[in-house]
Amino acid sequence: MNETVKNTALFALVAVLIIGTGFLQSWNSALFILNFGLISAIMALGVNLQWGFAGLFNVGIMGFVALGGLATVLVSMPPTTDAWAAGGGGVIVALLMGAATIVVTALVIKRMPAGWLRTVIVLALLIGGFFVYRWLFDPAVARIEAVNPASTGYLGGINPGGAAWGWMTLVAWPVGGLLAAGVAWIIGKTALGLRSDYLAIATLGIAEIIIAVMKNEDWLSRGVKNVIGLPRPAPYEIELQSDPAFLERAASLGMDPVTASTIWVKLVYAGLFAVVLVILFVLAQRALHSPWGRMMRAIRDNENASEAMGKDVTARHLQVFILGSAICGIAGAMMTTLDGQLTPGTYQPLRFTFLIWVMVIVGGSGNNLGAVLGGFLIWFLWVQVEPMGLLLMQAITSGMTDGSPLKVHLIESAAHMRLLTMGLVLLLVLRFSPRGLIPER
Amino acid sequence: MDLLNAFVALSNFVLIPAIAYGSQLALGALGVTLIYGILRFSNFAHGDTMAFGTMVTILFTWLFQSWGISLGPLPTALLALPFGILGCMALLLFTDRVVYKFYREQKAKPVILVIVSLGVMFIMNGLVRFIIGPDDQRFADGERFIVSVRTFKEMTGLEEGLAIKTTQGITVITAVIVVAALFWFLNRTRTGKSMRAYSDNEDLALLSGINPERVVMITWMIVAALATVAGVLYGLDKSFKPFTYFQLLLPIFASAIVGGLGSPLGAIAGGFTIAFSEVMVTYAWKKVAGYALPESLAPDGLAQLLSTDYKFAVSFVILLIVLLFRPTGLFAGKSV
Amino acid sequence: MSGNPYTDGRGNKDASIANPKGGGTMSAHPGTGAAMNTRNAFLIGDSMTGGYGNGPDILHDCTVAVDAGEIAVIVGPNGAGKSTAMKAVFGMLDVRQGSVRLDGEDITDLSPQDRVAKGMGFVPQTSNIFTSMTVEENLEMGAFIRRDDFRDTMAQVYDLFPILKEKRRQAAGELSGGQRQQVAVGRALMTRPKVLMLDEPTAGVSPIVMDELFDRIIEVARTGIPILMVEQNARQALEIADKGYVLVQGGNAFTGTGKELLADPEVRKSFLGG
Repeated sequence: MNETVKNTALFALVAVLIIGTGFLQSWNSALFILNFGLISAIMALGVNLQWGFAGLFNVGIMGFVALGGLATVLVSMPPTTDAWAAGGGGVIVALLMGAATIVVTALVIKRMPAGWLRTVIVLALLIGGFFVYRWLFDPAVARIEAVNPASTGYLGGINPGGAAWGWMTLVAWPVGGLLAAGVAWIIGKTALGLRSDYLAIATLGIAEIIIAVMKNEDWLSRGVKNVIGLPRPAPYEIELQSDPAFLERAASLGMDPVTASTIWVKLVYAGLFAVVLVILFVLAQRALHSPWGRMMRAIRDNENASEAMGKDVTARHLQVFILGSAICGIAGAMMTTLDGQLTPGTYQPLRFTFLIWVMVIVGGSGNNLGAVLGGFLIWFLWVQVEPMGLLLMQAITSGMTDGSPLKVHLIESAAHMRLLTMGLVLLLVLRFSPRGLIPER
Repeated sequence: MDLLNAFVALSNFVLIPAIAYGSQLALGALGVTLIYGILRFSNFAHGDTMAFGTMVTILFTWLFQSWGISLGPLPTALLALPFGILGCMALLLFTDRVVYKFYREQKAKPVILVIVSLGVMFIMNGLVRFIIGPDDQRFADGERFIVSVRTFKEMTGLEEGLAIKTTQGITVITAVIVVAALFWFLNRTRTGKSMRAYSDNEDLALLSGINPERVVMITWMIVAALATVAGVLYGLDKSFKPFTYFQLLLPIFASAIVGGLGSPLGAIAGGFTIAFSEVMVTYAWKKVAGYALPESLAPDGLAQLLSTDYKFAVSFVILLIVLLFRPTGLFAGKSV
Repeated sequence: MSGNPYTDGRGNKDASIANPKGGGTMSAHPGTGAAMNTRNAFLIGDSMTGGYGNGPDILHDCTVAVDAGEIAVIVGPNGAGKSTAMKAVFGMLDVRQGSVRLDGEDITDLSPQDRVAKGMGFVPQTSNIFTSMTVEENLEMGAFIRRDDFRDTMAQVYDLFPILKEKRRQAAGELSGGQRQQVAVGRALMTRPKVLMLDEPTAGVSPIVMDELFDRIIEVARTGIPILMVEQNARQALEIADKGYVLVQGGNAFTGTGKELLADPEVRKSFLGG
């Protein structure tokens, strides 16, 4: 079978699956799968950049996705003026003070000769800095969080227009990428520079820390109290339903206004996401076939030889790590936009780190098209396994008497089929098609 | 007297919990480090292996409880523990047979095995949630305290109380026994030595006639035992929730790396390092400081360095510090 | 990208997740399918032709052998296939033609482990000891396939290498180069092999240590164990050799007793520097 034909067939399969969902279940859920599939494909592109191109094992994707979400809040929400007045300055001073402590400590480590004196000074700087930081930080935070805690209690974003300026959310996407890139730079500088081979555990830890920060720093994004009602770039359903022109069009298509409005909103999002995916895909594809991409793969295939030829392996790895993480950040910002809320409690590594890995491995590591395919396919499975598992369980238990404990347990447990299936898919692909569905060329 | 009170408070809230938690982490890290040394990859499914072994133990505990069997003051789970270990062994040996063996024969790169272990992690995680559900399960029974706050206060007449939970006592005693048995096995028996030899130099072990499949099989069995014991102890001490066990992966990996991957002694040292740092940094020192310091110096706030939710950050920072100053870990892992 | 997708680690060097030591490199390649029988000896690799995997042939109709009570030495220029010939005799090479016989028995189809059980002792050139284990544990592991009491064998090894007895509680990795080689040879002797194969036992040790090692090897041979070894230091090796094989480009160039080869003007000119 010709490669193009095969790839087209695989993507056609995904299209059939999604459209089939539309016919069999509802167009709303089909579009839900499509929208999240687009986002998943973007995340998979980012991971593919790191793993497929460069062989970097990043298990902290969740952190970068969450940072994207944070960026959405920080950019698109209106600022809480009272909170800024109460403690904004204090927090900023405290953060600057903390950063200064770290910079000074780093300078001391770099400039001073090693010895007990340096150790003492470094320790004194760190401990002293920490207490001064807390002394400045804590009261400011307390003041911010005291401002109307039920609805705000945080600094808010930078969107002066509020909900009316929904387009600001679009600005948040690249900002999310930048934020993720910045954090990736710090991690990369430490982990790749310190000892190139501890990246995995470093990313695993940082991701948990990022989530912990987002859950606890209420002044920043309300923590587990969540930020809801984010401004959105797409029109609101309610507004559409009261817009006579829209109602007329819906009627002409023979749809009731409520369904029509939800579908239209989702289509708007799908269009926006598709544009981002296409742009990023083209960029990734060009990067792969550019001299830079060839060098990346040369480094991956033989690090020692590339180093001997004068390539700066660590710098290249840092580049690709930042780029890949930035893409994940963009995807994270898009996802929060689609959700319309930031809920730090829902970030789980199984869903946001390891599932993306399954997408990349199943799709085909090293191949951008494969990553995109994996993103759609695995996301479809992730969503659909639950109803399919329920059907399966109902079929299995159909012979049992109603209300028997086993039957109840089996039907209740159907929801957990998802993880089982994902593991099975990953293992089967690794075993029988280890290069993935669309292998690297 | 105040200093004594301070020490009692310190023991009650820091030392004893940290020793118990450290033992649990050490047992977990031992499993990770053994797999790293013998099978040569980091097993991301280890947290879920612990959860599986614990789940089997819980199911047997419930069974025994329904039969009315109990251990008196000790938790029934101890009686069910051997069955949990057997169940976990069966699962791991089955997994090795149908999953990992193939990749060994292909001489697959370790990182491929890591990705395979991700798949196994998903399956085990799903399996545990499927069978017992994702919710919290408490299965500790028997006497709750060895020493309760009230008896301690009555005995000593001190203002500050000290409680030692039965589960904490059991944790420490079990961990000591398990670790002693493991070290005896690795250093004194022929099979144990052959495992160390295989971990040290696979080719030479083959030339010496050591059967790799047997070494691998025994490794999985030991890992199953370690993981189940660690999981059950953790579950008794706190509570059992599949997702928490998955999250233990980070402190466990951190312990193994801090101690030096591949070094069993290091795993133990690492476990305690991480546990003590976590507990000490997230503990509110107000009480201890209130006793130990003169009134004028006593802190106003809670004197808590970081909120409990940042305990992951602690493992991570310790990890960074150790790697910065001693890249091979505390006990230079010989097989790293 | 390598041919085998399972061994494509994408260059990942993350030591926290993947033990960089990786799995073993040794793979068994027994059997040739084209038996040869040109002459007899206690251990003989007869007319071997083959190479690594599907690569080009490195050995061309090469024969190496050792007789009871003898020391046979394989010498030759760099890249002549000396170690390759040794590995072929031990069953770690894809050999397409030839036979390996031990004491008259055809062992061509046996894996390296089975050859050890048959009585072959092999000391690889590198990583030939368990560095993290003590000297005594190294010897114990050497005797792993023996289920009987091996204490007297260990005593014999300690007699041969007194320094090992002194350091028996020390980790083998902490010893000096020469001592490590003694551990390696001692480990191989623990199976009470019928024949001992040494791959460049003096690689990387100082001349004084080298002389001592040669003395020890002669002592081992005197206990009645035939020795087949590859040597870089051709002159010293041929001096102690009963039989010498000069390999050039994977084939036998000269064969004779050690003395004959040392006296041969051609050999002297080409390989011994005049």
